[in-house]
Amino acid sequence: MRTRRSVFKDESKLDINYVPSRLPHREKERRLLMEFFDFLLRFPDRMAQRVLIEGEVGTGKTALAQRFGADIVMEANKCGIKVHYLHVNCREYRGSFFLVLQHAVAVFRPNFPKRGYSAEELLGTLMQCLDEDNAFVILVLDEFDSLVECEGSEAIYKLTRLQEVRQGRPQRLSIIGILRDLSLLEKLDASARSTLQRNVISLEKYGRAQLMDILNDRISLAFEVSTVPEDTVSLVSGLAESESGNARFAIELLWRAGKYADAESLDEVVAECVRKAVSSIIPMLRKSELESLGLHEKMLLLGVARFFKDSSKAYASLVEVERAYAVVCEEFDERPNSHTQTWKYVQFLSSLGILRTEIATAGIRGRQTRVSLPSIPAAELEKELSLSLEREHVVK
Amino acid sequence: MKILKLISRLGALNVSEIARRVGSNYAATDKHLRLLEAEGVLQERTYGRVRMFRFSEGSAKAKAVQNLIEVWEQANNK
Repeated sequence: MRTRRSVFKDESKLDINYVPSRLPHREKERRLLMEFFDFLLRFPDRMAQRVLIEGEVGTGKTALAQRFGADIVMEANKCGIKVHYLHVNCREYRGSFFLVLQHAVAVFRPNFPKRGYSAEELLGTLMQCLDEDNAFVILVLDEFDSLVECEGSEAIYKLTRLQEVRQGRPQRLSIIGILRDLSLLEKLDASARSTLQRNVISLEKYGRAQLMDILNDRISLAFEVSTVPEDTVSLVSGLAESESGNARFAIELLWRAGKYADAESLDEVVAECVRKAVSSIIPMLRKSELESLGLHEKMLLLGVARFFKDSSKAYASLVEVERAYAVVCEEFDERPNSHTQTWKYVQFLSSLGILRTEIATAGIRGRQTRVSLPSIPAAELEKELSLSLEREHVVK
Repeated sequence: MKILKLISRLGALNVSEIARRVGSNYAATDKHLRLLEAEGVLQERTYGRVRMFRFSEGSAKAKAVQNLIEVWEQANNK
């Protein structure tokens, strides 16, 4: 018996915690971060840095910080400087300054008592540990807004003005705050805010082409050669772009689609796998929404569903949609509507989020509209619509 | 010996934790720790209100005790 091959080469490369060796479209920001911390390698105890990284969900904030962390620790090791990169998700610690510091202290003194001390005492302990070990820390506060919300200005003030009570001693604690929106810092008083906002790195949302580059990078690491067609990459990128350019969503979606391909013993991650994956992430279109469609809208959609069910393609041209619609009309003894009307159906279904239309440049023949079925598995949609249309036909 | 084995296994510990783990009271544990510190086997570090004890760095006695415990444990595990 032949052992079935998986489409995956190494699934761990699609894990949320995996930090790739290269960050496509974030290289400039990574270099800027290295610039900000350049002093740490040259004059380690003379300065501490504070940087904010801002950007929407899935814009690579955490990955950027972690990549930078791994790089700077490696560089510091070469120079014989003890730099620790400490990444703390403040939300996981319920936005508590005390718990964040407790975690930090435990890295250096694992048996340090867990209770009975104030956050301020813990901060003092952390600095003492660093002095004893002659070490430096880059404390990354991910989901920084959660800390700001729970603790307000006081905690931030203590963190950023730490050196004022350590006059003449080495500066050992640098801070990187990661948050979605700088406006979340408005809750802080002016003095706490001013110490933070000197160095801000803003990450723009990824565009479709950028998402494709990111996916292609991960595909080369995680999937076997030629198992993910270009159409699938394009479909996933399009979906992730509409999810605010969320690269994390794109990678997770691709992983799920790969799982569906494996479950069905397919050699490739075809578009239908992506649709199944999306429907497992995004709530499925409710049956009542399908029922509320008109007869011809349903027939057109059934045609589209059949087209995608029988094809591994991720996109259909308008001509292909019209042909598929005409076949369904014939089946139900209906006269197909005109091209203009068909186009209106497509637009309506697109406005409901069931279909997606986009303009593609098609070489020398100019621009072409292409239609995709982004989030509903074609087979399930076909089953649902066939039942609904048969019922309607019987009533007639 | 219990205290030394404990610190050898877990590293630096505070007085209350040592007392709890060896099943002794705070005062008695503190007395033993002071003796071991005076002998140069252990050293104390104070972090605010927390006193932590560990093997003395660079002490020949501490090194010898650690080696003894290691050999002892290995022999017991065979």
